[in-house]
Amino acid sequence: MKRLLVLACGNSLRGDDGVALHIASCLRNGLCDPETQIHSDQQWAPELAEPISQADLVIFLDASANVVPGEIACQLLRPASNLPASFTHQTSPASLLALAGELFGAQPRRAYLLTIGGDSFDLVEGLSEPVRQAIPQAIERIKALLSGVD
Amino acid sequence: MSKTITIDPVTRIEGHAKITLQLDDQGEVSEAYFHVTQFRGFEKFCVGRPYYEMPYLMERICGICPVSHLLASAKACDALLAMKVPRAAGKLRRILNLAQLIQSHSLSFFYLSSPDFLLGMDADPKDRNLFGVMRKNPELGRGGIRLRQFGQQVIETLAGKRIHPAWVVPGGVNEPLGVEKRDKILAQIPEVIAIAQKALAWFKIEFENFREEIRTFANFPSLFMGLVTVDERAGYYEGKIRFTDSLGNIVADKLEAADYQEYLGEAVEPFTFMKFPYYMPLGYPDGMYRVGPLARLNLVDNCGTPLAQQEWVEFRALERNAVHSSFHYHYARLIEILFALEHIEEYLLDPIITQSHARYSASLNNLEGVGCCEAPRGTLIHHYRVDEQGLITWANLIIATGHNNLAMNRGILQAARHFVRSEKLTEGMLNRVEAVIRAFDPCLSCSTHADGHMPLWIRLVSPEGKLLDEIRRKP
Repeated sequence: MKRLLVLACGNSLRGDDGVALHIASCLRNGLCDPETQIHSDQQWAPELAEPISQADLVIFLDASANVVPGEIACQLLRPASNLPASFTHQTSPASLLALAGELFGAQPRRAYLLTIGGDSFDLVEGLSEPVRQAIPQAIERIKALLSGVD
Repeated sequence: MSKTITIDPVTRIEGHAKITLQLDDQGEVSEAYFHVTQFRGFEKFCVGRPYYEMPYLMERICGICPVSHLLASAKACDALLAMKVPRAAGKLRRILNLAQLIQSHSLSFFYLSSPDFLLGMDADPKDRNLFGVMRKNPELGRGGIRLRQFGQQVIETLAGKRIHPAWVVPGGVNEPLGVEKRDKILAQIPEVIAIAQKALAWFKIEFENFREEIRTFANFPSLFMGLVTVDERAGYYEGKIRFTDSLGNIVADKLEAADYQEYLGEAVEPFTFMKFPYYMPLGYPDGMYRVGPLARLNLVDNCGTPLAQQEWVEFRALERNAVHSSFHYHYARLIEILFALEHIEEYLLDPIITQSHARYSASLNNLEGVGCCEAPRGTLIHHYRVDEQGLITWANLIIATGHNNLAMNRGILQAARHFVRSEKLTEGMLNRVEAVIRAFDPCLSCSTHADGHMPLWIRLVSPEGKLLDEIRRKP
């Protein structure tokens, strides 16, 4: 059986930055196979390298300030060739893939970064309208990736 | 003609800072300043909020040591309610504090500082990171990650989430510990103790290669301060304040943390937002003292758990009296990790730990409350005043990193005088000056209650104030 891992990152107190946490919550509540491991974190840290090394497929899920609000972007990830000097607060998905290989000798067969464009990252709870509207489509995309259809 | 060197940003620390080194006419370093130029003002914007919100507001100061703020704040609220917490809750809070100590010390030692030990102070900065550690010594890297992961898992198991949990409440904790969760933590302890012991064995050999750094990294006499329990152990969650001097003599003992204003002064300097606490009877700046792992191991004559006690005996044998070199903060951190693991096991094996009664309730009984505990970096004090409705009217926080501010500044000066030998800075020189600060593991977001966007910057300035050289680093 394929080992599936979803890693959601965000801050629900910063508006649309919490969209990944919201989607993770939906997935956890019956919208995906219960065997799928789902982690919600405020940041991605090196401790995730171990579960990543044990997964066949990993989806990193995050909000993005670089795409149009509500737009869903998905990219296939490769392990980073260089890592940043500091790991105090967060590690990029590509760095985590590299760490998994270096430290634990294994990497997932496939890893994706799926982002949803945010509209507001202000100090508010709740999501903007374009982001809320994008959630069903994002969930469908994640389910497709998890099932290997996409 | 005198000159100034600026290092900006200081790297591999929690938060951001810059350093200015002033050179005299002979080109020797005459002054050193550690600037923290960020400000957040948690003490101000909490005014008007109800006291029971404080633990959850205050833990947002930091993403690395939120548990310390949560506990100190909850203890201050306990004082406002004039109540003790149930015994089980007290032990659960202690476990939470120790779990955070493990994860925070692991971050400091393995993620931030071990690249210096393993790859050398002069190694290429591109390799001098956790990735470099993985390549050179993967077992050490895996061990560091596992220890941090364990600390975080214990926090998550007890409190529901790893960062900013809301489990500790005024009067106790809001959910008792079940047997299944207790056993899940207990089952992991032998493995993580073995990792901590291996890391200690490795480091005790490795630090022999850093004799010059040990000699010059904030290695001077000072006072040491921390909490000590009634049975003369370092008190991570409870106890009374003790000061010892560089000879190991007790200078002041059994001081109530709530009376801190009677013996701690707070000076301010124009070059930084971080205050300079000092021991008031000796005045400013002679009242310099150090807190944190090095201080805690210097304050007591007994570490308190079997394996850590053996390590503590070796540690204290490094010097005749107190251990003075701040380089040994790293060594002390590893011993504290071992101590914390053993102590968590002791608490979990106590049958009381799974008792269902984990919270008392009470109304507001005092208009002023102080909470104190030992954060990973040292003694943390939260002090609140409220009105009759329980709304905060005033708050003061004294943070571990702040206590060490005088010593950090003096330590930078000592190291810079030794390593900075020309007008032109080298990477190794820069890294050694930074590493002095790193040894203290400062948390600048905590100590300024600031938002962590200040990079490190070293400046070399002439006596006339002319900028001669500078190095900046992005965070």
